[in-house]
Amino acid sequence: MDRAEPTAEPVLELTGITKEFPGVRALDNVDLELLKGEVHGLVGENGAGKSTLMKILSGVYQPDSGEILLKGEPVCFRNPHEAQDAGISIIFQEFSLIRNFDVTDNVFLNREPTRFLGHLDKRAARARTRELLQELGIELDVDTKIEELSVVQQQVVEIVKALSVTASVLIMDEPSAALTDRELGKLFEIIRSLKARGVTVIYISHMLDEIFEIADRVTVLKDGKVMGTRPREGLTKDELIPMMVGRKIEDYFPELAPAPELTGAEGGRPVLLEVRNLSKGDRLKDVSLSLYAGEILGVAGMVGSGRNLLARCILGIERHDGGEIHLQGRAREIRSIYDAIASGFGYITDDRKNLGILGPMSVKENVTIANLMRYLRFGFLRRRQEAEDTRAQVDLLNIRTPGITQEVENLSGGNQQKVLISRWLLREPEIFVFSEPTRGIDVGAKAEIYRIMREVVSTGKSIIMISSELPEIIGMSDRILVMRSGRIEGTIDQHEARATEEQILSLAVGHTFSLHAGSGPKGGGNS
Amino acid sequence: MKAPSRTLGLKTLGKRLSSPEGLVWVILGLLVVFAMIASPLFLSARNLRNVFLVQPIGLGLASLGQAFVVISGGIDLSVGAVMSLLTSLAAGIYKANPGVPPVLIALMLVALGAGAGAVNGLIVVKLRIPPFMGTLATMSLFQGAVLFYAPRTIGGIPRSYRFISDGTVAGVPFSIILFVAIIAVCYYLLRKNRLGRHIYAVGSDPYVSQISGIPVQRVRFLAYLICGMLVGVASMYMAARMGGGGPKVGVGYELDTITAVVIGGVSLAGGAGNLLGTFAGVLIIGVFYNLMNLLDVNAYMQIILKGAVLIIAVSFYARKRV
Repeated sequence: MDRAEPTAEPVLELTGITKEFPGVRALDNVDLELLKGEVHGLVGENGAGKSTLMKILSGVYQPDSGEILLKGEPVCFRNPHEAQDAGISIIFQEFSLIRNFDVTDNVFLNREPTRFLGHLDKRAARARTRELLQELGIELDVDTKIEELSVVQQQVVEIVKALSVTASVLIMDEPSAALTDRELGKLFEIIRSLKARGVTVIYISHMLDEIFEIADRVTVLKDGKVMGTRPREGLTKDELIPMMVGRKIEDYFPELAPAPELTGAEGGRPVLLEVRNLSKGDRLKDVSLSLYAGEILGVAGMVGSGRNLLARCILGIERHDGGEIHLQGRAREIRSIYDAIASGFGYITDDRKNLGILGPMSVKENVTIANLMRYLRFGFLRRRQEAEDTRAQVDLLNIRTPGITQEVENLSGGNQQKVLISRWLLREPEIFVFSEPTRGIDVGAKAEIYRIMREVVSTGKSIIMISSELPEIIGMSDRILVMRSGRIEGTIDQHEARATEEQILSLAVGHTFSLHAGSGPKGGGNS
Repeated sequence: MKAPSRTLGLKTLGKRLSSPEGLVWVILGLLVVFAMIASPLFLSARNLRNVFLVQPIGLGLASLGQAFVVISGGIDLSVGAVMSLLTSLAAGIYKANPGVPPVLIALMLVALGAGAGAVNGLIVVKLRIPPFMGTLATMSLFQGAVLFYAPRTIGGIPRSYRFISDGTVAGVPFSIILFVAIIAVCYYLLRKNRLGRHIYAVGSDPYVSQISGIPVQRVRFLAYLICGMLVGVASMYMAARMGGGGPKVGVGYELDTITAVVIGGVSLAGGAGNLLGTFAGVLIIGVFYNLMNLLDVNAYMQIILKGAVLIIAVSFYARKRV
């Protein structure tokens, strides 16, 4: 429709960009051409090199070789400042906000309006910030500190920050990760108005639906190489996905556990965990559930429904004020996460970066950290044994790493998640609690994580899986609990029939709810 | 209409006083009340003048410098050693050339302080040595230098130079004018100037600062440079007040400045806190020492108590960490 053709001239041309990190060739001879006023979708699995490429464009990294032409002139950005000055602005995937600064100070960080000798003109900054927010039709107090804002509001500040520079190229790295459908619509409006002003937008996302809605052209990266650039028109997902993963995604979700053994406590499988009338204030009310050996129990619900709090209370991270927890038939007082671990729980957090991995430590150290007692002999760590076990885990879970001494922060999200899973596998807990098991993980690695989860329960262990992605809940759970306002609104046994997204949503929001056609997997409950 | 607005006012006051920046003034108030009850001598004019107008200036100036560095996410352990070195140099130069104009000496001390700050800054920024280690090393370096230069205290600072600590302008002590002026400049720099904004940003989150294009290393360097200059000013004042200099002048200042800064609500993790709090922290330390002396507490016991107070004070602010 409004494709930037054929008069559009290239704004940015990248040729032969190569970038290596220790043990990884992140970008391999990448060519990319960006036209003025186009929205250019960039897709690929995690670890495909998207983020690295964007960090080079925005001056965070410098390429080992290759050339960047900006409006025909060769450029080389030594730092983000130079890129900004040249009109290239980026909204990073991880937030680039100072948490204890207010909105204004963040929007104008390092571009503070000043009068003389660096004398700050806060009034001007405030006024300009208000203007920008108004242009985007967003209501937000410009004097609020970032730490007091919701994730969505922070994302908005991020966008305003990027837009406050008169950019000719705006890079958005996973901008929708924290947005609801309505907010996403707003974001698309913003992007379209930018486009009308002749701004080139690079849109990176895992969500192919978004790419198909907003992009004019799409480039696929895989293993640091460009697999191709295609106009959106005429492009289908079936064409795109194999380019990304190099294989077709059939059997995306593995089979459920065999049904008959599950139903009924008597004569069926043993109950590993029974929660009775668990309560905490008015955020968690009278929650009871049973977890059978060998099943995956999905917990769905909107943000604030108590689905995460439930897990945190069971694990002793937060104290509950009423109710009982029984493990294999015996009442067990769980006062802290240490109690929980000692009682056979393993917990895989949704905040991998902050609460999961130990970034600068090696794969080996990350795998064995929860289980060091096993390697102690006369007070010394048996390092050879540690290395052997880690290698076994790397093979078992197909963790892609140059070696077990590689720092975990250098791995892709999917592989970091596998490291976390193997950390707990090694400890052999009876019950795994997964919170958002595939958040920020690409399609290929997702399927692998799902397969691993199925293998775990096939040995008689159980998984409680909290997720805001409905396809994941439906695809993976043997049974689904739907929570709303701190209560369990309903339980769906998927062996009778697979649940539908509408069914779960209507329980989660409390009234019948119909998805408008084609709104895809982002349907609801995204945090 | 009136009543609710008043309760609102009280509420915000309560909220302010329970924040780290406010709490420090509450603690100071309580300490003063306690001192008044514990010792009748505390309220004497002479003692009050000493505690609030004389003692806080040297420590205050050095603590302002420390605050810049700590807010930027660093630490400076060499503060005391630099003060010993600079006061000794001032006294030594006067001893050799009694006729040097005081202004020249004063400027020289500030410049040398800046030089010492630059050394610290370069070590942290260029050699990438963690601030704690880097300034621990320069502390040893400067302390050794002063012992080489002047193993014992040197006296003989002339009356003309001592105007800095003893003189008055229109009835107001010059030292107070100097101190207030410097606090004002520092406050301006940190709160109303771009540089200060960047110092806070770098201390809060160096990574975010970097990707926002802030020259992180330069900002860190400048924080050490400013700290050095302020330590230079502190030395300039101390040389005048003591009428000399020596290797023990600055002993304990590294710890006292850090204590003042932390009690004043500046986070050792960087990025948070302000200078007024630091000033209150300086007064708290002053009142505390004074009280110990008035109550005739054993000098070694004082050091032990100081450590205990530091632990208690910091534990107030340390709740958030996992």
